[in-house]
Parts: sequence; structure tokens; C-alpha cells
Amino acid sequence: MQTLKRNLLAVPILVWLGLLVGIPLVFVFVLSFLSRDSLGTIVFQFTLENWQRVLDPIYLRVFRNSLLLAFLTGLVTIVVGYPVAYITANLEPKKRALSIGLIMLPFWISSLLRTYGWMILLGNAGIVNNILLGLGIIDKPLPMMYKFGTTLVGTAYMLIPFAIVAIFNSVDKLDRSLLEASYDLGANRRQTFFNITLPLTLPGIAGGFTLVFIPALGLFYVSDLLGGGNTIFLGNLINTQVTRGRNRPLAAAFSIAMIIVVLLVISIYGKVAKDDAEGLFL
Amino acid sequence: MRGCRRWQLNEHFDRQYLLNYTNFTTTIVAQAGKGLFVKQPLLSLVNINKFFGDFHVLKDISFDIRQGEFLTLLGPSGCGKTTLLRCIAGLESVHSGDILLNGSSIRGMAPNKRNVNTVFQNYALFPHLNVYDNIAYGPRVKKSMGEGELKGKVADVLELVQMLGYEKRMPHQLSGGQRQRIAIARALINEPAILLLDEPLGALDLKLRKHMQTELSQLQKKTGTTFVYVTHDQEEALNMSDRIVVMDQGVVQQLGSPRDIYNNPVNYFVTTFIGDRNILQVKVVETSETHAQVQFGEHVVTIRNSGQHRIEEGQTAILAVHMDKMRVSCEQTANAFVGEVLSVHYAGSQIRIRIKVGNKSITVVEYQKIDCDCEAGDQVYVTWEDHGATLLPPEDGWAEGEV
Repeated sequence: MQTLKRNLLAVPILVWLGLLVGIPLVFVFVLSFLSRDSLGTIVFQFTLENWQRVLDPIYLRVFRNSLLLAFLTGLVTIVVGYPVAYITANLEPKKRALSIGLIMLPFWISSLLRTYGWMILLGNAGIVNNILLGLGIIDKPLPMMYKFGTTLVGTAYMLIPFAIVAIFNSVDKLDRSLLEASYDLGANRRQTFFNITLPLTLPGIAGGFTLVFIPALGLFYVSDLLGGGNTIFLGNLINTQVTRGRNRPLAAAFSIAMIIVVLLVISIYGKVAKDDAEGLFL
Repeated sequence: MRGCRRWQLNEHFDRQYLLNYTNFTTTIVAQAGKGLFVKQPLLSLVNINKFFGDFHVLKDISFDIRQGEFLTLLGPSGCGKTTLLRCIAGLESVHSGDILLNGSSIRGMAPNKRNVNTVFQNYALFPHLNVYDNIAYGPRVKKSMGEGELKGKVADVLELVQMLGYEKRMPHQLSGGQRQRIAIARALINEPAILLLDEPLGALDLKLRKHMQTELSQLQKKTGTTFVYVTHDQEEALNMSDRIVVMDQGVVQQLGSPRDIYNNPVNYFVTTFIGDRNILQVKVVETSETHAQVQFGEHVVTIRNSGQHRIEEGQTAILAVHMDKMRVSCEQTANAFVGEVLSVHYAGSQIRIRIKVGNKSITVVEYQKIDCDCEAGDQVYVTWEDHGATLLPPEDGWAEGEV
């Protein structure tokens, strides 16, 4: 009786998920096995051609680029975000609310606009170059735009709040008496951090990494605007295939492939975080 | 710093003394010198003051802790006992005063540099490390021994707390009592000069708590380690301690042996905090060296007067008598209150009898078979053991309405 009631309670969410996630996903999956004519209209004819192209060495390089970008973005956001999260969690309540507010503030502005902001900052006639030229540190503008690194900086900037919040949660949950016990037993601050704080906030790190890694894999406008299309990532590829390439079946195949990669990452995260999965579900 | 200087002065004085008199009184002086050091307490608290914001938590606390003793800080919650413990551990700073360990100041020293260890209230076992690694944590971070020696040491302390064989368990796989033992083992492996215990039995159920009381005091005797134990439970304190420091509102109210604290409370707070007492306002009729005659309503009785308080004839005083040191008798007895039984309540091993004496209701707790098989409405005589009664002068905080 109890379980039946509980199962009934799950019905609305299952309907919701089924309509908005399940069915579209099935559409995309089916689409990835269909053909198209020269104008890009879908033809209901089974083919494995799209999947063959996904595994083509040229496109595998796109996968490699994207995975590398997503991995490095995760790494950068963790390394940069950890101190911010750690310090914020140790602030007194008022300052802590202010700090979290400031971390969240950029979300109020369109991410596209913020990406343009980076162009204004890093461009050849950008603010950074102008200042450096004005100070006489450089003679000619440093070319900072349209590189892999530029895309990395932009993506990391866009996604770092996710990492900070996830780590913040795990640092905040950390029992202070464990740190006191560590000092009491003779450990200094560095030993306490590496022996106690870091291992116990690992679920937060894994959660933050996953939360950054997944969107980093699919973001396309950042690399379009800051990378100038010099390096092709999965997001750009799918975007191009849908719009200019008029090849929706191929885009569908890439999308499904990307979902598989994401599922792999989540399963690794699940192993690291074990039963402590709160880090991911803020 | 003050402590440091004092110690140096002592040493300096000692050396000078020895140099000047070596030729003729070497032995005597050496013994006198030795006496100076042997008498030195293990830990001295000197006028400790501590504030949390405007709140004065510790007010001018001064006392010594002796080598090898089981000392308990006892007081109601918020009295500053845990804060004082944390000051000794180095987890809290003090605003003024000094803490001397073996004669040298440890004030301002980081907790990891102090040779004291704490057993935390919630045990604070590291959840990601197993029992072995938890216990090995201290020696490992201090790099005080190799892994081989460490293995033997961990086994030693595990045996001490009767937890051999649990090395591979994780903290969440242990019961409350087991975690408690591991927390103690983790502290003891460092061979601290003082083991600080912050209400370690608070989270355990009554039966286990009683059992652990016995075990803790046995452990303390076996290891010879000085224990400083914080609790709000007077029974725990009275059972285990060599000496008790009773604290209230950041002030040491009384320091003494359990027997002393129980029978000779120095003020109204200790009188009401330790044991269950009947408290009556009386008028002092006559005093002698050891006793005083006091009047309560129409009764005039003789009460022991320890002489530690100024009790003056003609004044009012507070008479406090342990409920369990009073007896009910059916026959008329000298030096007794006459009263009417209000109720008789059987509560397991004890019988609680409420009796109306004059305009006050008092409670008598009997453990054995009562001499007088009384019922509500009967007239009885109430007597008491001489040392169960205490006479105190009235003081601030005393209010007739309270009792």
C-alpha cells in the first residue's frame, strides 16, 4: 500500500520527464539512423552512414578537442574555485552571503554579452593591450584572441560558479571539530588541509568538476566568438551541421555520442562520490 | 611570558643558592631545591580571563592541576568549563592570564605544539580513515615514530581500550561506546602530559555511561595520565574524580575532593548544585565552636557548624540538609523536626517522603526499610546525620521564593 502510494507520487514527474526529455531523446536517437536528401529534408531510410562518420578519424579529433577543453575547464575551475569556495565557507554569515551574491551576480547578465565582454578585454585593440601599450610594456598588441587558450579562459569563466558552489557546499558541511582534532593531534595547517579537508571535500570537487565538464563539452558560442572557429569542438560541429550543413541526422548522431560521453563521466563521478552525491544535486 | 620569567628566576635563585652554600650544606640545599621543583604543579592556570565579544566567559580563573590526578570541571551548561578546557588545549585564546605547563608558559602556543590531547564531545573521528589510521594520525603527522614501531603502539593503545581487532573498521561501523574508546586511544598514543576530555560520555545511554565511568577511571589509574574531565553531571564527577572544580558563570566556586564538595559546600550555588538538599531559612540562636542552635518556626535544633562561614547569633542563615541523609522516625526523638507526612512515593530503590514542617514542605529520601511505616497524614519526626547538614550565611542569589 505504502509503496503503491509512493509510486503514484512519482507519476507526475515521470510524465513530465517522459514528455520533455524521453520522447525528444528518442526522436534524436532515431534521427541519427535516418538519411537526408540534398536539400536537407529527412528521408525515412535506415542508414549507418552518420555513425560511420562519427567514428571517422577527422571527427574523432573533434571529440579529442572537446574532451580536452572540457577536462581543462574542469581542472581550471576547480583549482581557481577551490580557494574562493574555501574562504567563502569560512566567512562570517554576512560576508559569506555577500561573497556568494557576488559569485552569482554575472548570471544576471546574458552569457553571450559576457563573452563579448572578453572580446573587448582581450582583442588586439582591447583594454588589456591598450593598457600594456600605454604603459610601454609592449610595442605591438599581443595576439590573445582566437586561440585554444582564449576559449578555455572564456569557458572556465562562464562555468566557474558551478564549481565554486559545489565545493562551497562540501566545505561548509565539513565538521570543524575534525580540523580541531587534527591540530590537537599535532598536525599543522598544511597537514590538516591535505589529510583532512581535501579528502573530505573530494565529493564537492568531483561534483563541481562534473557540473563544469558536462556543459563545457557542449558550449559552442564561446569557442565561436573567442576561438574564432580555429579549433572545432563538438558544440560547434553540431551547431554547424544543423544550421549551415543542413545535416540533422549527422548532428543527431554526434549529439547521442556526446550524451554517451557525458554518461561515462557521470558514472565515474558516481564512483568517486559514492553515496555522498549531494555535491551534484545542489 | 610571565610564567617563563618566573621559572627562570627560580632556577637562577636555585643556582645562586647552590653556588654560595655548596661547601658546607650541599645535601640540605639540594634537597630544598629539589623540593621546590617536586612541588611544582603539572599545569597552572594563572588569572585566566576570556571574553566572547562583551561576554565575560572566564573570570580570573586560577588553580593548579597535579601530576597524575583525575580533575573534573563541573558546572551547569554555559558556566565556561568547556571554554576553559579549550583554552588549555589551545583551541581558544585567552585575553589575559597565563597557562604554565611544567612551569613554562604555553599561552599563545598553537594546539599542535602543546603536549596535551583532547577527546572531543562528538569524538571527532576522521570519517574517511579506518580505526588504525585514525589512531596513527598523531604519530604520523608528527613523524615521531616509524611505521614498524607505530604498529606495536597502535596495538598497545587498542588493547588498553579493549578494541584489538577493530583496526580495519571505519568509524561509521562502530557504536557510540566503541567510537569513544577509539577517540581515547587516538589521544593516548601521543602520550600527552594531560588528556582533556570534553563531556565524553554525554552521548551514551545511561547503562553504557555507568560502565564507561568505571572504565575511564581504571584507564586513568593504569596509564597514570593526568585527566582533566569536563561534565555537567555531578554523579559522574563525584564517582570518578580525585578533585572537582565546581564552576558557575565563569568563576571557580569551589575546588576540592568529591567528599569535600559533597559535604562542605562553600556557598549557596554549590549547595544547590551538588546533591539534592532541603533548604530552609533559619534564625541563629546560639553558636559554639562546632555547632549552632538555629530556630525554624517553633523548632530549635542543633546544627553542625564547620566554622568556614561567619554565622552570627541573631541573624538569619541558610540551613541545607541532604535529602538522603535525613531519616523519618515515628517516635519522638531529640533534635528533630516534627511534621505531617504529605505523600510517600516509592521510586525503585529509594522511597521519597514529602513532609510538611511548619509552613515548608521538605523531602526525605530513604534507601533502606523505613523505621516508621508512615502514610500521608501521619505525624513523624525528622532527624539527620550530623555531617549531612550545612549552615550558610545568606548571600546574593539566595531568595526565599526559590526553595
